[in-house]
Amino acid sequence: MQCAESLRLQAYFDSELDAASAHEVERHLDHCVECRDLLNDLKLLRDGLRRELPIERAPGDLRARVLAAIDREASPARPRVRPTVWRLPAFWAGAFSGLGGAAAAAALAWFLILPIGSSVLVSELVNAHVHSLLPDHLIAVVSTDRHTVKPWFAGHADVSPSVADFEAQGYKLIGGRADTVQNQRAAVVVYRHGAHTINVFSWASDRPAVTRATTRNGYHLDFWKEGNLQYCAISDTGWDELQGLVRLLRELAQRENSPT
Amino acid sequence: MDDRRTRFEAEVLPHLDAAYRFARWLAYSPADAEDVVQDALLRAYRSFDALRGSDAKAWLLVIVRNCHFTAAKQRQRRAAVPLPEEIDLEDDPAMISQDPGPEAATMRRDEARTLGRLIAALPEDQRTVLMLREMEGMDYAQIATITNAPIGTVMSRLARSRAALKARWLSESKESPHAMR
Repeated sequence: MQCAESLRLQAYFDSELDAASAHEVERHLDHCVECRDLLNDLKLLRDGLRRELPIERAPGDLRARVLAAIDREASPARPRVRPTVWRLPAFWAGAFSGLGGAAAAAALAWFLILPIGSSVLVSELVNAHVHSLLPDHLIAVVSTDRHTVKPWFAGHADVSPSVADFEAQGYKLIGGRADTVQNQRAAVVVYRHGAHTINVFSWASDRPAVTRATTRNGYHLDFWKEGNLQYCAISDTGWDELQGLVRLLRELAQRENSPT
Repeated sequence: MDDRRTRFEAEVLPHLDAAYRFARWLAYSPADAEDVVQDALLRAYRSFDALRGSDAKAWLLVIVRNCHFTAAKQRQRRAAVPLPEEIDLEDDPAMISQDPGPEAATMRRDEARTLGRLIAALPEDQRTVLMLREMEGMDYAQIATITNAPIGTVMSRLARSRAALKARWLSESKESPHAMR
């Protein structure tokens, strides 16, 4: 006999519930042993899968073969991207090139919700993240040791972000590199979570904190600010997984800032 | 120079690994998975203008799935369904349920193999939903898009696959009591 709440409990586990429903499930968990057991099983199963299953990657030459096939395919009469009214970075030009109703509405909503400049910032970050995923672009200093990564930034970026290896929690520190965000040198700390790469950008900013989380082109971006350091974590991993790392980093920053 | 190709490289190609994994979860051998993925990326390139900045990863996986169906139909017509290469002697149950040995490394390897085999034994619709959620970190809406199913169906498939896997995993690991830890 299964508790009637089991599907909702699963949705809770998968971070699919809004705050009010999540709160209801948490209250239900207080007095339903069956659902507590189920929640525990769900965690064990997820941990087991992520720990034990190998993360497969496409063979190294597949990318080159795909590009070669595309080049063979590219005909001289390929469609041109229509010029747009807004001067957008090239990366986004395609997104707005066919301004259908939905796209226009989405674009408008985008500009209404976010503070001015944010959309440029978001595209800059997504661009940098995607660029970093190209072969050999990800990491300038390869290390799983925060005592190597953190000092490296002193010479290569203008900031000194929180760095730690969270391998025990599933976020393995794999290195760092310097990048540019909003015309400033930024530190990028690179983590691996399962099959996914998470880039954590940080740069000095006197502007009001960007805190709104957003999703662009399949990548989630979560923003937060510590002192005058603006952070952004970006990845194609799930929201709950990305926010798990953000939580760890914020706790770390708080520990670093509090007097011992 | 070629703007379209540059954008394709930036927006779609980063999801090549995810596409490859998805093909593998659709039970393709490594070699066949490569073919399906290459086919899917060519198709994706042809219809790239339809993407318009929406979720490129989910979009690419939808195309992989469509290629999978086309290939399956062609195979059916030829009435020759090849067995996936991965089912070889090593994965034979008789070989796996041997004593896992005292060393942790051996145990982990065995456990991974056991889990891999249990997952391979799930029905395809359950396996893909489970892997997209747990390994790819996709949310219900994305999984619904990729598997072309309502969200309610995604939820029940997910629940069924998790329950089945849990039950089988437990019964498999009776001899090795650390399997769930």
